Amino acid sequence: MEKRIPLTDLREGHSGIVKSINAGRMATKRLMDLGLIPETRIKILRKSLFEGPVEIEVRGSKLVIGRGLAAKILVESI
Amino acid sequence: MIEKKKLNIALAGQANVGKSVIFNHLTGLHQHIGNWPGKTIEKAEGTLFYKGYTIDVLDLPGICSLSTYSIEELISREFIVIQRPDVVVNVVDGTVLERNLMFTLQLLELERPTVMALNMVNLLKKKGIEINFQRLEKILQIPVVPVEAIYGKGIAEILEAVMGLVKTEKPSKPLKFGKEVEVRIEELIQSLKDVDVSYPKRWLAIKLLEKDKEVEKLVKEKSQKILEEAKKLQKELEEIHKHDSSFVIAAERCFLASNIAKEVIKITAPKKISFTERLDSLTSHKILGYFVMILILGMMFLTVFKFGNWLSSVLENILIGWQGSWEGIFGSSILSSLIWSAIESLVALIEIALPYIVPFYFILFLLEDCGYLARIAFLVDNLMHKLGVHGKACIPLMLGFGCNVPACLSCRIMETQRERFITGFLVTFIPCSAITVIIMGLVGKFLGIGWALALYLFVFLTIFILGKIASKILPGEPTELIMSVPDYKFPHLKTVILQTWFRLREFLFIATPLVIISGVIIKGFYLAGWLGPIANSLSPITVQWLGLPTITGILLIFGILRKELVLVMLSVLLGTSNFAQVLSPVQMLTLALVSMLYIPCIATISALWKEFGWKRALGIATFKIMFAILIAGFVSKILLIFW
Repeated sequence: MEKRIPLTDLREGHSGIVKSINAGRMATKRLMDLGLIPETRIKILRKSLFEGPVEIEVRGSKLVIGRGLAAKILVESI
Repeated sequence: MIEKKKLNIALAGQANVGKSVIFNHLTGLHQHIGNWPGKTIEKAEGTLFYKGYTIDVLDLPGICSLSTYSIEELISREFIVIQRPDVVVNVVDGTVLERNLMFTLQLLELERPTVMALNMVNLLKKKGIEINFQRLEKILQIPVVPVEAIYGKGIAEILEAVMGLVKTEKPSKPLKFGKEVEVRIEELIQSLKDVDVSYPKRWLAIKLLEKDKEVEKLVKEKSQKILEEAKKLQKELEEIHKHDSSFVIAAERCFLASNIAKEVIKITAPKKISFTERLDSLTSHKILGYFVMILILGMMFLTVFKFGNWLSSVLENILIGWQGSWEGIFGSSILSSLIWSAIESLVALIEIALPYIVPFYFILFLLEDCGYLARIAFLVDNLMHKLGVHGKACIPLMLGFGCNVPACLSCRIMETQRERFITGFLVTFIPCSAITVIIMGLVGKFLGIGWALALYLFVFLTIFILGKIASKILPGEPTELIMSVPDYKFPHLKTVILQTWFRLREFLFIATPLVIISGVIIKGFYLAGWLGPIANSLSPITVQWLGLPTITGILLIFGILRKELVLVMLSVLLGTSNFAQVLSPVQMLTLALVSMLYIPCIATISALWKEFGWKRALGIATFKIMFAILIAGFVSKILLIFW
């Protein structure tokens, strides 16, 4: 099995498959309602400086997620 | 029987799908923006006339789902179920259909007659996306209307589809989930059969499996047994899927949406890098993005201040002319001066609104409509986190430098009540243009620009510390930024202008009564000769604690009306504008600091009142008075040691 890493560890331009979201209930549901469920393929579009948010592409749309929350999303790099 | 000639339709959809553009096309100027009863959530309603029907259109808040995380979402689903609009129009962004379908599926669960307005079809070709509308209609079993809202295309077709549905009154049909979920939904529907509620049974069952707090409460009142049954079924699902049951349902919807998308969407052209994407990689760039942001915001501030200063001086000259003719005609009796003070307050209000608020709103909505605000939020999220809020808070805080009133009203862009309140509270500490006039005219002029900047720095530090404290003591978790980023697009001017106009109308509507009444009262006090005694009674604070002259009490009372009156009244009461003769440097700094920190002006208080209720508005005002007195007193005592 591939190693699971936090989404924030993926490099810009790289893709991964979401494996689990270990955030609070609210935040997790909110992410799921935006299409971020396990087994979804995501791509890191950009990360901002100084531990700022991460912009990802998921299901054809763009999403910005705060760094702290993004770190709780575990992915497998592909 | 008389045919029903009145219809209600509701627009529902996720944020950034062009809902307000469609709303504006449907209703034009016949709209009314108010609040939901007892809530500070905006409610936009409008009316249109079509083929002999009077149609009331309601624009539900833009949200991302119908589960209860936010008041907006709760309001939307309650409206659809309880008020039962004749038709729900689901506005969808065709370029991100799959994500939008997640919301559509939830909407269908509410079982009202539904039409899908598939917006942005004009952008599909450019993106190499092809959508099979007929197939989509067949799968969802609702009419799907292609719309190009910014060109006004497809609006009439939406209305036609609505009319068609009104005749048949065909409710929407929720789509089926996977088997092991479906079995449990059926089981709950059976148990719910005799429960008397207005919500559809299937919807209730789904929400119970999703552990929706509101629905659980509702069902608990009717039958404790069903709730226990739901708990048991949740457990079963969790054992099968090894996930929280609410996530299981979300995943089911996701799966459905993704299957539908696969069936109706064809990506034809290989995606080439478009202009908007290149623009995006510049404006969201790690380093260059900040330069672009500073440039754009700098230009925005400069434009607004230049334009504002010019227009407000023009308006002021007109006012002075009017005062002369007023006194020429009506004399300067007590009654005449009281009436004049009412007119003066009203004109002064327009003097803030027209030159500063209108251009601010116009540029802000322009930036929002083309999609740039989302990029700013991305860039400054990190900085804002230090204040206990997230990226989007930068917008109200920036607005505050112009005028605190639009800044307070724009706190609505924050998702939770907690974030809104913290942002609103911090906004009232941002030195607005009137305070800048005081600082520059008093400290900057007589003590040098260095001291003026030091005061600003001090206030920023205060905001930083108060933000930290407020986010610590207020209940609730700080929310992390979750924001969908719209593609850049050309702004739709009509929407921008309409939004600006409705905000201006709203501002005048809430601020006018308080400003006029308080203007007349203070003028009355002044004429009755009560201001002196009031100032004297304040002297333990102003003179003994702060070390300022007695007349400061009068200045500060006038300052509540409009902050710049502190400086104006100072020169009137002292009979000189060379303040160095009458005030020591420490007194100047203390007075400037008090003016910066103490009570928000009356227009801001009314904005706070409107947004957060009177208790919180008065709470902020009281806190600021105490805080200003305390801090300024200490600062003046420390300064006196060294001076």
